[in-house]
Amino acid sequence: MERASGRPLLLRLVEDYWGILLLLLGWQLWVVLNRFNPIVMPTPVAVLGDLVAYPMVYVQSVGITLAVAVFGLIAGMAVGTGLAVAAWFSAVASGLLNPLTILFSSVPVVALIPVIARLLGYDTSTVLAIVVIITFFPSFVFASSGLRSPPPGSEDLFRVLGASRLSVLWRLALPAAMPNLAIAFKLAAAHAILAAMVAEFLMGTSGLGYLFAKTKSDFQTEQAFGASAVATVISATAFLLAGWVEKRVRERYG
Amino acid sequence: MSAGRWNVLLGALGIALFLVLWEVIGRLGLGGISWPPLSAVLEMLADDSKWALFQRALAATLQETALGYIWGTAAGLGLATVAHLVPPLRRGSDRLAAVLNSVPSIALGPIFLVLLSRDSTPAAVSSIHVFFIVFVSVSSGLQRATPAHRDLFAVLGADRLKRFRRLELPAALPALASGLRLAWPAALIGAIIGEWFGASRGIGILIINAMQNFQIVLLWCAVLLAVGASLLFYGLLTLLERGAYARFG
Repeated sequence: MERASGRPLLLRLVEDYWGILLLLLGWQLWVVLNRFNPIVMPTPVAVLGDLVAYPMVYVQSVGITLAVAVFGLIAGMAVGTGLAVAAWFSAVASGLLNPLTILFSSVPVVALIPVIARLLGYDTSTVLAIVVIITFFPSFVFASSGLRSPPPGSEDLFRVLGASRLSVLWRLALPAAMPNLAIAFKLAAAHAILAAMVAEFLMGTSGLGYLFAKTKSDFQTEQAFGASAVATVISATAFLLAGWVEKRVRERYG
Repeated sequence: MSAGRWNVLLGALGIALFLVLWEVIGRLGLGGISWPPLSAVLEMLADDSKWALFQRALAATLQETALGYIWGTAAGLGLATVAHLVPPLRRGSDRLAAVLNSVPSIALGPIFLVLLSRDSTPAAVSSIHVFFIVFVSVSSGLQRATPAHRDLFAVLGADRLKRFRRLELPAALPALASGLRLAWPAALIGAIIGEWFGASRGIGILIINAMQNFQIVLLWCAVLLAVGASLLFYGLLTLLERGAYARFG
């Protein structure tokens, strides 16, 4: 922050946000010049107006989606890391699981949402399950490769000193896996909320995705875009926060 | 037996176990009525009378995905290059990319519906997904050239553009190849979501219709087709990536 404070505030704003400002300005001009009916396409100013005027409409939906995304993210990362540790203990288990998870992590998971919804039923717990599944794969893949790549020679040192398998895990493999886990966290954090929204949109249960679908079909387009704007801000914040966490972890364990 | 071959064998065994488990759960009805045995899904996939439907849907989705993939790659590569050559633009373009990536895909649908048309919406949503991944990977790749190389180019009197073309761009190619590999499943997801906003055909339409009409086996067929299309090209792009690392890594 000290580094940047030498420049005037306006210049700093333009330098950091020129892309976003241009985008919003272009959107506003596009709608105004084409004289779109607000039902078809509202201006960003109108969307902001709706957000300010009716904040309570959004609060509940945001709460639900955020809770589902956060719990799903934590559970998905815990299960992914846990299985990676289990696979680390057993060469057979990791041989069995690794190709399968790599296969799954390159699958378009959003395409699986309708199948999962059919299997588990149309309610909020299904949205949670979908977030868990979507965050599980990157955690498992990144944790596995991190656990297996400690600094060269360190494993021999642990063996020479007679360390148990458990203490190798705790003192060597897990710390070595931390930077990778941080990357997985960054990838999963932004996705968790968006995946939750797609699932809510498809199943019509609750939360921001449902608010979007409902207001869109009721021709309250401003509110639909308001819901999307809120989701965008939350997801971008999650991405930035996770990037900050990743940097810290890399400084500590990298 | 060598460790590598042993692992391949175990991996194949893991996948086989998964497929057998799928079949057994379906046969015994443990997953409820929405979990058909694998054989029933494969049977419908092989059915000649359904094949015209699958082929039309698959062709439409692949075409949209390819279009979105090309546009997204061009945009990501373009913005990353401009931001690299004009440093004051860097911070702003990073933020723009991060925000674009945070817009829910289901919100992009209605925007492109108005901006373009029903049938170009899938490719457009897909291109936004691809754009972000390519932008991030190329941006980091362009910074991979070592200071020693940069100094050498400076000493030999290369100008900014020559340094970019001969040093930084080749150094960024492996990262670009990784980005291209990761972008393919994302492109496919974008096209499928884009189709939900009124495209006339495609895998996404097939999935939604089957889901709403409770045609369970058809739903699984559509999902398997999407997975197959994803894995096939992902595999091909993995080979491209290996080549890029071998030559430029």
